[in-house]
Amino acid sequence: MPQLGESIAEATVVRIDIAIGDVVKADQEVIEVETQKATMGVTTLCQGVVRELNVQEGETYAVGTTLGLLEVEADEVEKTGVETLEAAAEKRVNTAAEEEEKNLHFAVDDDTYEERQPVVEPSVKGLPVPAGVMGAHYISPRMRARMAELGLREADISAVVGTGAGGRVTVQDLEAFLDYIEEWPSSQASPMRLAVADAMRRSWSRPLATVSRPVRLDRALDHRRAQDPKPGLTLYLLRAFALALAEDPASAGFLIGERIVHPRAFDIGVAVQVEDGVVVPVLRNVDSMNLGQLTGAYAEMVDRARRRRLTEDDTRGGIATVTNFGTFGLTNGTPIPLPNETLILGLAAGEKKPIWSKEVEAFVPATEAELAVTFDHRVVDGGGAGLLLARIAELLQSPEKL
Amino acid sequence: MSITYVDAIREAQEQLLKDDPRVFLYGQDISRFGGAFKATKGLADAYPGRVLDSPISEDAMVGMAIGSAIDGMRPILEMQFADFSSVGFNQIVNQAATHFYRTGIPVPITVRLPSGGTPGSGPFHSQSMESIYAHYPGLVVVTPATVSDAYQMLIESVALDDPVLYCEHKFLYRWLKAPKIDHDGLPLGRARITRHGRHATIVTYSAMVHEAVRAADRLQQESGWEIEVVDLRTVKPLDMDTVLASVARTGRLLTLGESFPWGGVTAEVVARVCSEGFHLLDAPPKRLNSRDTPVPYHPNLWAAHRPTPESICIAMRELLSF
Amino acid sequence: MLEARQLETKLASLYKAGKIVGGVYLGKGQEAVSASLGGSLKWKHDVFAPLIRDQGGRTAFGEDLLDCARTYLGSVEGPMRGRDGNIHRGRPAEGLLAMISHLGAAVPVVTGMLLARRLKGELDGVVGATCIGDGGTSTGAFHEGLNAAAVEKLPLVVVVANNQFAYSTPNDRQFACEDLYDRAKGYGVAGHRVDGTDFLACLRVIGGAVASARAGGGPQMVVANLLRLSGHGEHDDGSYVPDTLRAGHLGQDCMDVARQQMVDSGYATAEEIEGWRSELEDRVQRALAKAQQETKPDPWHETWQACSQNPALPFEA
Repeated sequence: MPQLGESIAEATVVRIDIAIGDVVKADQEVIEVETQKATMGVTTLCQGVVRELNVQEGETYAVGTTLGLLEVEADEVEKTGVETLEAAAEKRVNTAAEEEEKNLHFAVDDDTYEERQPVVEPSVKGLPVPAGVMGAHYISPRMRARMAELGLREADISAVVGTGAGGRVTVQDLEAFLDYIEEWPSSQASPMRLAVADAMRRSWSRPLATVSRPVRLDRALDHRRAQDPKPGLTLYLLRAFALALAEDPASAGFLIGERIVHPRAFDIGVAVQVEDGVVVPVLRNVDSMNLGQLTGAYAEMVDRARRRRLTEDDTRGGIATVTNFGTFGLTNGTPIPLPNETLILGLAAGEKKPIWSKEVEAFVPATEAELAVTFDHRVVDGGGAGLLLARIAELLQSPEKL
Repeated sequence: MSITYVDAIREAQEQLLKDDPRVFLYGQDISRFGGAFKATKGLADAYPGRVLDSPISEDAMVGMAIGSAIDGMRPILEMQFADFSSVGFNQIVNQAATHFYRTGIPVPITVRLPSGGTPGSGPFHSQSMESIYAHYPGLVVVTPATVSDAYQMLIESVALDDPVLYCEHKFLYRWLKAPKIDHDGLPLGRARITRHGRHATIVTYSAMVHEAVRAADRLQQESGWEIEVVDLRTVKPLDMDTVLASVARTGRLLTLGESFPWGGVTAEVVARVCSEGFHLLDAPPKRLNSRDTPVPYHPNLWAAHRPTPESICIAMRELLSF
Repeated sequence: MLEARQLETKLASLYKAGKIVGGVYLGKGQEAVSASLGGSLKWKHDVFAPLIRDQGGRTAFGEDLLDCARTYLGSVEGPMRGRDGNIHRGRPAEGLLAMISHLGAAVPVVTGMLLARRLKGELDGVVGATCIGDGGTSTGAFHEGLNAAAVEKLPLVVVVANNQFAYSTPNDRQFACEDLYDRAKGYGVAGHRVDGTDFLACLRVIGGAVASARAGGGPQMVVANLLRLSGHGEHDDGSYVPDTLRAGHLGQDCMDVARQQMVDSGYATAEEIEGWRSELEDRVQRALAKAQQETKPDPWHETWQACSQNPALPFEA
């Protein structure tokens, strides 16, 4: 079907003046077609015998449709330069191969292009988007490029007082600050320090909250004394934490877009203080191992951590972390979870104090410590965190089950 | 002894007529009368038969210039006012601009466009057409701002094998003087740093270069800001190397032009800096053009229609305080 | 004339067979006028700016058949290399201008080429010619160009092929003067009138106008009356042309008239003419076959450069 007019995409076959087996001359009008613009005769390119007719009267066909095929003598082909089926097929193959290569340069292929629905809608009427672009935290493209060049993060320049619009830090402010700190003594941060700094900075980009409550440790401590080898108090906590999470895995899930990603296994990390930093080796399937089984693995892991012999696998894949900052004599703390974890459980130092006992109606001595959990408030709420702590406290009261 | 901007244009044409037998001048009232602005004064007598009066037929004037250029001549066409080139627009953008691409035969015509506003000239004798012509592939558009550039760039425009729209600013004709023509060797197509600075860049061209320098001097005196001024000289093709290098030094950009605000040279420079030099910007680039109305007649209105040192200073303070 | 008719018939057929992209615009019915003009001009000496229905004039002036075939079929071997198509072709360096679509725009360009010849002292014996239709005479460029040529007294010949319709618009919606010929006096140019279907008359009048311009007679305007025997382009069936007009004097085919005139005058026999026709048909066929098999433009190897020079590069004035 020829292109009959500049804006024509299709034409209707009005009349077919030939039949299969007819002999046609060159330039003979053989099919009459109609477009919005006019009625036209379609002509043959050369002399030949009609072998195929692919169209019917009254039907509409797209421009470029093969209307029919002629059988043509070889010398007529040579003389008129018409395209044979073989030549057309060969051309298609070549073009296809070329297209494939060329398509590398094109982002959109005509055949598969679909009009896309807009997904971004204005959020608030009348408010400039993005809101607050003039605010103190706006970082210009040039600032961003300069900071990248110097390896600086937003947190690094929090000390700089901005003189730009809305107090934003301009490049001049940054350069002045860099000149200023040149006058102070400084030293190179260790790789360990930088790794911790990076993890904490990334984690701090979330709304983190901490709640705590006291827990009784007497039974756990009594149980521990009866064991050989003695499991660390951290392991009791680890087990109680794992069992509590196994009852409510969603509280350890993390939020990605609109999805909560649930734990695949209850692999829990333990924070180990090392020189100039903290490392977090992960113990696997803590919910299905007993204290005895965990004790050896834990000791070996801590030893390797202190000797800096942990592999990447040892620290990968935790769903939460336990930290026993009580070992530093601290009675309170707000630990920060790793960037890929929603929860961190922290135990403060135990203190022996008088506790009112309902049974004996008197103060009795008991060992108590603050148990804190820090959580991503997007995933967990204060109430949920409180219930989690209560359950852990309860489990610690039955150490024989751990 | 000093030479004005319009003297430089006249002298360049005289030099061209003297040096190149292919050069002839064609335009309204340019022969014995010497042109509406006397840019061809005395040339008809000195070069008889080569400085020709045309009928008031801008379409035919451009068409004839094209025909003569195809036949080997180097015509310089004087539009009496840039505004009237709209009548010859078809020949410029469809005939001259497409000819080399279509046929492989270049069309070395130079169309002089007396451009820009002067007090009292009104809507039809004040327009700046460079943005319109720069839109079309196949055209070179130059906008000299200095006496020496007026001379040198006209010589180079005629030597170029492609059609050149030579936008000469009427306000500069007699206002701008130099002790002598003293060219620094910068070729057509290269921008010039007219004034050095480190706090912000003003990219501009033609008469606005002088307004920008005045504003920059004022900002330096009053607040100590050091403003760099880039004179594009040629708006098509754009010398983005020089523009980006300046923005890399300063981080802030104002583009300034006398033409209408919708689109155009100032918008093109901002668009290119944003896409090619986003990381260089410490503040959103600004544009300053005339107001979005026809050029008004009365001098009070005219002076407020185009950018002035005052309005440039206001825009610069906004830019510098971001 | 005969070659043009054979060529255009074949082009129409290729278009209707889907081998030509864009449009095909025929000069069917205008061959006598066009060929009389082209045949009166000298290749590489005179200047000719044909318009859309001037295959006859192009061929008579000396344009190679292959230029036409290659431009219509988009061969890179052609003068336009696929950058422009169909009738928008030419060889400006040889005096054959490449038209743009804007009617009348060529009139000042031809005038300018003649002005250049005068300035170079090469005008003697040179003629610049262009064709235009009845519709094109309504444009400003036609008026400005013809006026300017008259002012400069340049040897410009403008042939107006009044084929009664500008696309579908009839003469009475195009101009109000009684005859376009009357305009010549207003411009101060010599005016001529001719029956565009009468081959011998065309040769005499148009050839005479060219000779007069060549001899220093200044600009000439010839108005030839005829009827377009096809649509505006091959996408148009010309259904707006009344049957009475087709059946009348203007509806006669100038090819038939020319054939009869040649036989009657004893210039050629009917058999000889048929012999030429069949030979030309073969030449046309081979040119089109060759162009069809030639390389088509490749966007990956296109320069995409609209200017011949890069002024940003170091430049010597």
